[in-house]
Amino acid sequence: MKVEVGQELPELVKHPTTRQLVQYAGAQGDFYEIHYDQAYARSVGLPGVILHGLLKASFLGQLVTDWVGDQGTLKSFEVSYRGIDEPARPYRCRGRVARVEGSEVELEVWGEDESGKRTTVGSATVALR
Amino acid sequence: MSTTIVDIIDRVKTRIGVDGPATTTTVEAGHVRRFVEAIGDPNPRWTKEAPPTFLVALAPAALHLTDAEDFGKGWLNGGNRFEYLAPVVIGDQITAQSHVADVYDKAGSAGEMLFIVFDTSYTNQRGELVARLRGTLIRR
Repeated sequence: MKVEVGQELPELVKHPTTRQLVQYAGAQGDFYEIHYDQAYARSVGLPGVILHGLLKASFLGQLVTDWVGDQGTLKSFEVSYRGIDEPARPYRCRGRVARVEGSEVELEVWGEDESGKRTTVGSATVALR
Repeated sequence: MSTTIVDIIDRVKTRIGVDGPATTTTVEAGHVRRFVEAIGDPNPRWTKEAPPTFLVALAPAALHLTDAEDFGKGWLNGGNRFEYLAPVVIGDQITAQSHVADVYDKAGSAGEMLFIVFDTSYTNQRGELVARLRGTLIRR
């Protein structure tokens, strides 16, 4: 696999729904009400239910593992949640190669809301075969 | 006498370094399937192996700190950092062990926030450390 600094990963656009938030709450076992109870979410100052940070991390994980395929192994993966995201809005996952050192590749990854604001930023390290 | 924010922060800080209970869970095919359906990742690789964030579904990656809930109105996830040392495959028995690594407060644009940093280690049935996770939860 040819990898160069600055190279962009094929973007992954997700279309999360409230149904998916409930599905994820069950699968992860995170039953915090801000992810499925609109009245509760508003009572703590949110505009409505919001995506789990770790669901957004899963989307970015998919961006990376789709790109790497069977050509390497994920060594580390880090995300910071900078803003909230609501369901029924597209969530765009993007990334680029930040550094290449021998067989080790560092990726910069981020998730954008529909206005282009980076609501999740992070990085991943991959060891290529 | 009313409890001040300083009292709450001091109380939560006493938890730094304290281990939570260790939990051992089998990585079940059905659980991984429901998880990848929920995240919408159809990669066939996940019929044998767990996807990168699945570890958080095995055991609570944060201790339930009731004292912290006296601070602010709600929780926010600040971030997660995974380090992978060995693959996690279906059928593995994973033991998760968490502890509070740090507690600090910070004034942000939306007022004062309380940060709690949790470290979790994941070990398989052969005693191999397979992953580490650092998570930051915020009360605000």
